[in-house]
Amino acid sequence: MSARSVGRRVLAALSLTVAATIVLAGCAGSDAPASSGTGAADGSAPSGELSWAIAGATLSEGHMDPQTSQMDVTAMVQRVVFDSLVFQNADGSFSPWLASAWEVSEDGRSYTFTLRDDVTFTDGEKFDAEAVKANFDRIVAPDTASAQAASMLGGENYAGTTVIDDTTVRVDFHEPYAPFLQAASTPLLGFYSPRVLTESLDKLKAGGPDVTVGTGPYILSEYTADQEIVYTANPDYAWGPQGQKTPSIQTLRVSLVPEPSVRTGMANSGEAQLVSELPPSSVAELNSDLKVDTKAYPGMPYSLFLNEKYGVFADQKVRQAFELGIDVDSAVESIFDGQFERAWSVLGPTTPMYDAAIEGTWAFDPKKAEALLDEAGWTGRDADGYRTKDGKRLSVRWIAWTPIPDDRTALGNAIQSDLKKIGFEVVREALEPGAYNEQYGPKTYDITDWGFSGVDPDYLRSHLATDGFQNASQVSDPAVDALVAKGAETVDPTERAAVYTELQEWNAQHVAIVPLYVPALISASAPSVSGLTFDLYGRPLFYDASID
Amino acid sequence: MIRRAAIGVFGGVLLLWAAATASFLLMRVIPGDPVAVMLGPQANVSEAVRQRLREQLGLDRPVLQQYVDYLVGLLRGDFGESFQLRLPVTEVIGRQLGATLQLTLAALGIALALVLIVAIVARTRRTRAVAATVEQIILGMPVFWIGLILLSVFAFGLGWFPVTGSRPGSLVLPAVTLALPTAALLGQLLRDGLEQAERSEFAETVRARGAGDVRLLAHHTLRHATVGTLPMVAYVIGSLLGGAVLVETVFARPGLGRVTLAAITDRDAPVLSGVLLLSCAVFVVVSLLSDVAIPLLDPRRRERAAPRPDAGDLSA
Repeated sequence: MSARSVGRRVLAALSLTVAATIVLAGCAGSDAPASSGTGAADGSAPSGELSWAIAGATLSEGHMDPQTSQMDVTAMVQRVVFDSLVFQNADGSFSPWLASAWEVSEDGRSYTFTLRDDVTFTDGEKFDAEAVKANFDRIVAPDTASAQAASMLGGENYAGTTVIDDTTVRVDFHEPYAPFLQAASTPLLGFYSPRVLTESLDKLKAGGPDVTVGTGPYILSEYTADQEIVYTANPDYAWGPQGQKTPSIQTLRVSLVPEPSVRTGMANSGEAQLVSELPPSSVAELNSDLKVDTKAYPGMPYSLFLNEKYGVFADQKVRQAFELGIDVDSAVESIFDGQFERAWSVLGPTTPMYDAAIEGTWAFDPKKAEALLDEAGWTGRDADGYRTKDGKRLSVRWIAWTPIPDDRTALGNAIQSDLKKIGFEVVREALEPGAYNEQYGPKTYDITDWGFSGVDPDYLRSHLATDGFQNASQVSDPAVDALVAKGAETVDPTERAAVYTELQEWNAQHVAIVPLYVPALISASAPSVSGLTFDLYGRPLFYDASID
Repeated sequence: MIRRAAIGVFGGVLLLWAAATASFLLMRVIPGDPVAVMLGPQANVSEAVRQRLREQLGLDRPVLQQYVDYLVGLLRGDFGESFQLRLPVTEVIGRQLGATLQLTLAALGIALALVLIVAIVARTRRTRAVAATVEQIILGMPVFWIGLILLSVFAFGLGWFPVTGSRPGSLVLPAVTLALPTAALLGQLLRDGLEQAERSEFAETVRARGAGDVRLLAHHTLRHATVGTLPMVAYVIGSLLGGAVLVETVFARPGLGRVTLAAITDRDAPVLSGVLLLSCAVFVVVSLLSDVAIPLLDPRRRERAAPRPDAGDLSA
């Protein structure tokens, strides 16, 4: 083969590549953004496709299973596949869903559910009491290592599920457990087909079309990890929470788009008809014809946990000074564009039993903060202007796990600079999860931070009880232990409300936790979408939705 | 030539072993327990359950034994199972590999086309200076910024391309985003090679025979310059196939870059070593191919057997 002809061949190959690429780009590039078909709202055959863009970056890392995942996004997106025993209405009351009726025993230890007899899983299996037992047993099984669902099912308190007959099932607890009904309304206690639980148990975390099988209004028909999940309407669905049947929208195409600015762009260009998890700064950039829904998360607002067993936070005066030294109002107002409200209590304002009387009780007061620090003995000053006592600087270390959104970084900086003005040093460390766990485990930090969504205030138990698994502040007060236990056991709503009011006021005094702001789930929907509703967590529900 | 190829292959195997060992050590040295990361800091899971999980994942065996088991598994073709997903590593990587291959081929095709066009169009000193400046600017821009700009102009603004999804149109913007810096890099190298070739004596001869610029380029100097860029092309292919995590994130595409990032964050050692080995293998193969291609393109680099003295002459 002569050298010349080799050169010719190389050139020919290159030219072919060029031509092919140009042709490919040309004919593919003429696709307009997906236009949706029609989804009739009158109960006729479902049609139309709704494109839903969410962040969803963690789903592909083994978080497709609501029974094991601790991520909110899992419950948000898999709600369409898994139904629950009861449905929680907007006012907090419960209505029948897969359970047509239920009874709570006098002592609050047993819940007996009467199930519908016409419910089937999308793979043909029947939904009955055995299915309920199989799912609940799987959740609490040690091998499942369920991060959150198991504790919602009572954790150590769960005594077992008994099948009484095909349509009657009883769930027992060792101690009375009031939060159970609310837990039973979430997708975390939703139901997989029993066949999947026996045949594909190890594949559930990865998820997929033949594995994520429930009784819900949609079937997971396609899944491309890190790209999209396609749900198609379940033609046999007839047991919606308000009696709805097969949903009007035939296809739900969920695009997993980690970049918030790209999601905003997709909302504006119409490529996605519903976009969730929008950052507050993007609201101003959305087109005016889009409908924007801002739903405050119920549960623990984004807060700082002050570790009182580690360093300077052992002194209550120092904790109070810390809280009073931060100008929370200005910081939250400017960083979140006025979209989020500042928080006052360890319960968010949309959480049942929220105590509004706490609002305004610990406003920004740097003078008082300085007086408290003086009283606590931190009267010296070092060369950098920070307070000292016995030669040691007043300094705290804050650990946060990455990825940290920009707005939280900004908030962290604002807090650091506010506290510097009163001589209090805050050192902030951004650690990736592995390194974070190394410090969180032995609790070698002064401050950490998170928010926790939950409709039932029982989450305070894990945060404030001495052996609570989320007790980052290391509170160990027997009076508090008694209160949170009583909250979990009391079924009477008025008595429960009194317990949680007392807990909220306890924290306002003791300052184990400093609530900062109430995050909200911001969604934008196109004018062609109607009938979209939201559950108490702010997540979209598609039972009545349609698209034209 | 055969001996050289054999040495190349042996070196490649050695490199693969080094990559496997390095990734194994990395995961042990970095702080962070995969089980803790899997469950998250807020998991209400007892220590007994965590210990069971560690046993299931084989993390409780002594380190040396884990290493030996791991190497033996590799030789058998068993890359292990992802800690987080409990799927075989080959499946975890395989389900994202297609997307990465698509993106790599498209980006490479566009980059080569751009390089060629620029080489043909920019023939005078001034146009070449302009081209060099533009390339320098592109190389200075972060790749995700290029992606976001392209998105806001062509996807959100003009609506020519969709942002996400599996439709063919959604490949164009990410491919162009990756192609621009690649083309800039290769373009600089190619132009250097062209200028060098044009200064040599054979170019003078060709011009003296009446060839114009384009003919000189296409039939003569391009081949010389291409030979100089081949090692860089090999490197670019290797790194593109390793995944481009920023472009994948901005354009919401699956790909090996995101798989690698997730594996590192989640301390998923089997997946990470799978990706590292794949990357290493790709580099080895592509380098070998480029080593083989250079003599094919450039006759001066071929080995020619020296004329052997006739045995009869020595005895004289």
